[in-house]
Amino acid sequence: MLACSMAIVLTACGKPDIGENLISDEREEEKVVNVFGPMEKTKPNTKNTSRTAFDLTVEMAEEELGLTVEYRTYTADNYQEKTYDEVALDRARNNMDDFYLLNPDTIQKLGYEGKLLDLSELDNTKNLREIVRTANTIDGKLVAVPQEVVVYGLFINKDMFDQYDVSIPNTPDEFLACCKTFKENGIETPIGANRWWLETFVLAQAFADLYNGGNTREEIDALNRGEAKYSDYMRPGFEFLQELIDKGYIDAKAAYTYEAIEGEGPDFMAQKTPIVMAYWGAANTETAYGKPDFNMQVIGFPSERGQMPVVPITGYGICAEAEHMEDTKEVLNTIISDEALQVYAETNKVISPSKNVDVECVPALQPLKDLVEDDIYVLGSDANMKLEQWGNTCLIVRELLNGATVDECMAEFDRLQEELLKE
Amino acid sequence: MRERQKRDGRKLFFLSIIIVFCILGGVVFFVANRISIEMSTSAIYNLSESLDLIRNTVETILKKETEYQKFIAEEIAASEDPFEFIRFYKNKQTMTKISLILVGEKEGFSSAGEKFTEQDLDFSSNKEVNGMHISQSYLNDMGTWAYTVKCPVVKDGKELGTLYIEYIFDFFEDTLPNKFYNGRAVLYIMDTKSERLVLKPTGMGERDAGHLDLEDFYRANSILEKNLQSEIAVNIHEGKEIMFYHDIQNESSLIYMWPLNDGVFYLIGYVPVAAIQQEGRSVNHNILIVVIVMLCAFFLCCLLYSFSRKQQDRMRAEREAEREVHNKQLAEALQAAQIASNSKTVFLSNMSHDIRTPMNAILGFTTLLARDADNAAKVREYTNKITASGKHLLSLINDVLDVSKIESGKVVLTIGEFTLSDLVSSVDAIIRPMAKDRGQSFHVSVTDIKHEYLLGDETRINQVLINLLSNAVKYTPENGNIWFRIIGLKQYSNQYEHIRIEVEDDGYGMTPEYLETIFDAFTRAENSTTNKVQGTGLGMAITKNIVELMGGTIDVFSEVNKGSLFRVDLELRIPREQTDQQYWQENGITRILAVDNELEICKSIQMLMKDTGVAVDIALSGEDAIKLAEDAIENDTPYQVILLDWKMPKMNGGETAKKLRAIIPQTVPIVFLTSYTEDEVEDEVFLLENVDFLAKPFFVSAFKEVLCKLADGGCEDETSEGSENENSLKGLHFLAAEDNFINAEILSELLNIEGATCEIVENGQLALERFARAAENEFDAILMDVQMPVMNGYDASRKIRAFEHEKHTKHIPIIAMTANAFAEDVKDALDAGMDAHVAKPIDMELLRKAVNQYIERKE
Repeated sequence: MLACSMAIVLTACGKPDIGENLISDEREEEKVVNVFGPMEKTKPNTKNTSRTAFDLTVEMAEEELGLTVEYRTYTADNYQEKTYDEVALDRARNNMDDFYLLNPDTIQKLGYEGKLLDLSELDNTKNLREIVRTANTIDGKLVAVPQEVVVYGLFINKDMFDQYDVSIPNTPDEFLACCKTFKENGIETPIGANRWWLETFVLAQAFADLYNGGNTREEIDALNRGEAKYSDYMRPGFEFLQELIDKGYIDAKAAYTYEAIEGEGPDFMAQKTPIVMAYWGAANTETAYGKPDFNMQVIGFPSERGQMPVVPITGYGICAEAEHMEDTKEVLNTIISDEALQVYAETNKVISPSKNVDVECVPALQPLKDLVEDDIYVLGSDANMKLEQWGNTCLIVRELLNGATVDECMAEFDRLQEELLKE
Repeated sequence: MRERQKRDGRKLFFLSIIIVFCILGGVVFFVANRISIEMSTSAIYNLSESLDLIRNTVETILKKETEYQKFIAEEIAASEDPFEFIRFYKNKQTMTKISLILVGEKEGFSSAGEKFTEQDLDFSSNKEVNGMHISQSYLNDMGTWAYTVKCPVVKDGKELGTLYIEYIFDFFEDTLPNKFYNGRAVLYIMDTKSERLVLKPTGMGERDAGHLDLEDFYRANSILEKNLQSEIAVNIHEGKEIMFYHDIQNESSLIYMWPLNDGVFYLIGYVPVAAIQQEGRSVNHNILIVVIVMLCAFFLCCLLYSFSRKQQDRMRAEREAEREVHNKQLAEALQAAQIASNSKTVFLSNMSHDIRTPMNAILGFTTLLARDADNAAKVREYTNKITASGKHLLSLINDVLDVSKIESGKVVLTIGEFTLSDLVSSVDAIIRPMAKDRGQSFHVSVTDIKHEYLLGDETRINQVLINLLSNAVKYTPENGNIWFRIIGLKQYSNQYEHIRIEVEDDGYGMTPEYLETIFDAFTRAENSTTNKVQGTGLGMAITKNIVELMGGTIDVFSEVNKGSLFRVDLELRIPREQTDQQYWQENGITRILAVDNELEICKSIQMLMKDTGVAVDIALSGEDAIKLAEDAIENDTPYQVILLDWKMPKMNGGETAKKLRAIIPQTVPIVFLTSYTEDEVEDEVFLLENVDFLAKPFFVSAFKEVLCKLADGGCEDETSEGSENENSLKGLHFLAAEDNFINAEILSELLNIEGATCEIVENGQLALERFARAAENEFDAILMDVQMPVMNGYDASRKIRAFEHEKHTKHIPIIAMTANAFAEDVKDALDAGMDAHVAKPIDMELLRKAVNQYIERKE
């Protein structure tokens, strides 16, 4: 027995046949698709749920299509460096990658420049909700498709609200009163903000009536024709922001330099700040506000019409001159299939862009979800508006943070609108 | 002592195995450890080599780029319009932008056609590639990391301007190994001055934190020791190679930082130690596998050895057990043989006793006969006793022969139709006198029998009943009781009557030990009470064998001094035609009245009469009977026969009969049902007309006979009575073939007594010859023994028949007279051409019947 075992082991461990001395390289040429996306500069050992969800769908595509999706990333080290959106624009304009994860303003810019492929030909785009299709259609072309409907809201520390006997604010006045109470109770900065997402306050107040008043199409057409002024819509929001800054409810200087979540997040999690603004998925991911030690709720932004969620549709766009065009189309078609979106939505607990997919959300998000399902929301980006809102408002809000007056900011809107009308 | 030595030896054996294994384990550990260290050293060396190779590749690329840049600078210098040259330059994969600033100017132009200044570029590090200054890395307008190298444009020794060429780091991506250490190692290119990671690994799973800059790399990989970071910073500043161990994500890893181009860039990254020591681990794994396999093999061998030992032990134990069983069987067989031998000895002893007793009587009485030959009265007495002893002796011999035959399986049942009535009456006729002699009461009852006519071997059933009942008589003391019951059981099939025969007594009973052997041959209950009872001890064995031969069962229940119960269950076929309804119809009997105080008897009568088509009304008392009879007359449906129990409470049979007779006409027969012991019939009953008696139990056949008798003094089967005289052998002359002189003489004398004569010949041959010589009708019949010398009886008969056939002579009756008395012998005799068979010893009555039957036929 021993001898037999030894013989078997030695045979197994032995050299290959002497005749097989010619070693051939059997590696097949790998099919590759390049994707460019943002990178969060966050804790090293935590998992980003939304990225995990994206990874799962990409793995489905890799397995199904027999290719590799290579991921290139960028994030600015500080506010002085180029932003992700700027780099994404540069890369897309120079055909550096096959497809990109783009923010609404970038989608609109690249869409108008013709740098993004029309995705209508992808089979699985037929399942998209109308809100998504509308928001991302430019000149009749569907230029980007998301894996989730990104909804922005206010993340509040309900425990602190209860502690100081503050009720949930619905209108700007209520919100101001709420901040006042916190301030009086020693909360130095009741609102944690960053340089990216303060425009949500503005947009909620600016377009609450436009999107919920039943006259959306006409009002947008009037803006596009110059019959109505964007500055008129934006002013209340800017004035509101100015008041928040003036009263010290927002630390404008800090916000001007803060990256999203990275800046204001730690104070919120440490219960120093009772209010921050963020996208829906932040409530599900450990890298953001996934595991608070307090009772967290996500509500809409204050507006005269009550709480208002802001929905800027992000999405994946394919470079019009992508190096691996066919493979890229197949990858995107796969990751927006109902099957993949089901996996994505279940992992990330988000509202799916597919009308065929619906999953339960975490309890903290339920108020926000109820509003969206009742069609109460403001689009943060709308391709039908010729003046891009999400990026421009963000930049102008940044100016406000940097010390510009509301009038100067409104003048900037007027200037942009005039330039657009000249084109 | 031996056990202890064995235990010590076993301990020593296990101790040696443990020592051997410890040594083996130590050696394996030492070898594995040594291999690990060597392979680790080798792995680190290989890693360094790989990093050197990558560095050389990157530096070569940088050098080639700058050489090409020099070439372009020369081309520009040679061109008439340098800016035109630059404008028409087509961007290449590596060089994304070419710019030129002329000497003395601050602005120039780039290949993109835009203005270019050096302000946006940082050459402050004064690092060079191939003698050309290289800028700090920056994010270019393509959104990717890039660096710019500048070189002078010199024409005829005079510097015309400076050429700036932008290169992107993405180009190095293809020069780095695709999956360094199977994708487990991570490689970045870091711009040394800004510490930004300008080239990162691509692909899924590499996108968590740590890709931004060196600080991010430290943070993401938990390299947080300040001393270590300072030491690294110093080494980086000096452009040295760095390699150190650190845990990354809980895995021991090797972190490397390799300077490129004198530290302008750094190649940094990490690889898990397990990944670089894969070969060493693989070797150790293989060694471990070999050791495990060897251990498994060793333990398997031990297991097999142990299994084999156990198997052998088990087989040995089985063999021993088998041997023990065998020995036990042999012992049992020996015991059985001894018991059998003892039984036979006892049997022989019994036989000797039983045979000698009558033999002694016979011989004794013959002696007395010789002495008192002149005293006729004594001679008659002696001969009577000799005859009785002889008959007893004969019954002994018959029993022995019967058992022998049954045991050898030669018994054949003779199935024929019989009636239970005949069976019961014949048994009653034999047993009742015996019981009466001993002052015992004999009770007979038949209940629930549906069919009286049955198919079966009546003789054998009779034999069984006689055996059981005679035993009951024998083993019951005087004034005891014996019950004989025939009970109809539930039929399993319409074609079979299921009957139970019970013979019960309140006699001596039997011990449980004896009950176990009661049906074995050669056993007999022996005790002080029954010692005087004679018998072979074969009766019960014969009984059981016969019952089983008929497909029945026999059981016995007994208690000492309380009595015994034998129960025989039989299934007997019912003949297709049970009773002839014709008799009853012809005689106009359609309605009878049965009167008995026992309801069971009445119902039994109803049941038995069911097939006759006669309606049976029942009355349980004389008064009821009278009332029913009156009602019947009133309704004009009178009874044609009255069956009346003799013994009833209040009004007995006689009284009831008288009163009935007053109501019913004289023509209606009254049949009294009496028990066999009933003798006290009142005389006045005989004064009544048209009455008769029928013994209980009730049977249709017996009832019919009584009615026949009443109708015309008997039915048609009264044929054989009164022919006694015709059976005489007087005047007949026989030829007898008998080789035994004494038998011949006895035969001759017996025939003489009968008034017949015979001529004796000694064998078949002589008989044949004598017959051939005989005159016609000289002999009336031939009495032929079977076993004879020269020619036996069968051959002689065949030849005689052949002779008759040949000579056309008359058929002479040949009667076999032989001690071969079994049915097969009778058959053989008839097959040989004989006409009848009479068993020895000769019963003159039987001989008379047989001879006369054939002589008559002859006449």
